[in-house]
Amino acid sequence: MDVIIENLPLYWEGFLRTLFLSVVSGVIALVLGTLLAAARVSPVAALRGFSTAYVEILRNTPLTIAFFFAAIVLPRLGVQFAQFEVAAIIALSTYTAAFIAEAVRSGVNSVPVGQAEAARSIGMNFGQVLNLIILPQALRTVIPPLINILIALVKNSSVAGAFFVLELFGYGRQLANANGDQVITVLLGTAFFYLLLTVPLGILASTVERKVAIAR
Amino acid sequence: MTTHVPGDALVSLNAVNKHYGQLHVLKDINLQVRKGEVVVVIGPSGSGKSTLCRAINRLETIEDGTISIDGKVLPEEGKALAQLRADVGMVFQSFNLFAHKTILENVTLGPIKVKGVAKAAADKDAMALLERVGVGHQAPKLPAQLSGGQQQRVAIARALAMKPKVMLFDEPTSALDPEMINEVLDVMVQLAKEGMTMIVVTHEMGFARKAADRVVFMADGQIVEDATPEEFFTNPKSDRAKDFLSKLLTH
Repeated sequence: MDVIIENLPLYWEGFLRTLFLSVVSGVIALVLGTLLAAARVSPVAALRGFSTAYVEILRNTPLTIAFFFAAIVLPRLGVQFAQFEVAAIIALSTYTAAFIAEAVRSGVNSVPVGQAEAARSIGMNFGQVLNLIILPQALRTVIPPLINILIALVKNSSVAGAFFVLELFGYGRQLANANGDQVITVLLGTAFFYLLLTVPLGILASTVERKVAIAR
Repeated sequence: MTTHVPGDALVSLNAVNKHYGQLHVLKDINLQVRKGEVVVVIGPSGSGKSTLCRAINRLETIEDGTISIDGKVLPEEGKALAQLRADVGMVFQSFNLFAHKTILENVTLGPIKVKGVAKAAADKDAMALLERVGVGHQAPKLPAQLSGGQQQRVAIARALAMKPKVMLFDEPTSALDPEMINEVLDVMVQLAKEGMTMIVVTHEMGFARKAADRVVFMADGQIVEDATPEEFFTNPKSDRAKDFLSKLLTH
């Protein structure tokens, strides 16, 4: 236990870095994922095609490949980052957006088609139908799966630790190396700080699920 | 069988055709509806009458022919189509009230978002409409808290809030319990008396007798008869119509 208590500031620093990575990537992924889902249901075939290709490629390849792309391939193509964290955020948010797009799309499909027809018949355009009628209803059914995706994002952010970004897992690894005799304790401490993020998210998911269920 | 009304046709369908795969659901449909006219479309299931109704505000696309509303041909897509739809009220079999909005919001959403009416004015108009269809006291509730008949009356109010030139009703009472059918039909009869142009797909022959100016009988994707209710119910000309009417009377 001592090793955890002695290194609390380090854990805390890592915890905040992980929180930062997750929140920034999460917000970008939510926006990007929702746009991709909108493209997926749009009347424009090219947008649908792009969105489908994006989702299928990102969703079906390992996260580490996204990281290699962001951290190694992008700089070779001339995209320079001041910090590796930017690459980590790019990798995490583009990867997570694919899953969010799928969840939002399934939510959109769960809204009865009559809702869109009624909205169109009072003269709403595609954007209004989507923003005022479909997405507000879709998001309610989608919030629990979305939170699950965000929980996965928090855990996935640990991959950044392997790409020179010091976050919770990165600090945990440093500590484990420095305290070779207490590796298990160090890792348990690391796990505890992840749980500090993910368990409240899980509780939030079930609370929201109960609260926002809409009657039909 | 076509009826040509000279001049002021508000809704005009000319040589309209549509297929679902092999099925020819609309065969060379010609139909003109004048301003203020109430046209009831009846016919057996699968005769294409709902498709016809939905084609008029392009919820169903057509393959050839033209449909025009107040002289303007239905645009293919985009802004012009949305504008035209705003002038055509639609009432669905399954009500389709916006499930996440209150009754009042259901009625005000179109005027506020599509027409840019100020919220206070939209609320006032909506309350007047809800009172008119007899559900004013339900305004703050959500659709799921209302009975089917009440929901359908709200749906009529929602369509009327856009001040449409014509109202389309696609089997408005088919999803209702029998005791709720009349409350909806009463609202529709009232609307017809006030001079609203209406195209009504229904199985309610009583409504057709009471409120229709014309009855259009469809079978197998074609308009088989187009006559006054009196003429149609007492002296149908085609065998299809005779057969259809005789089946209605057996129970």
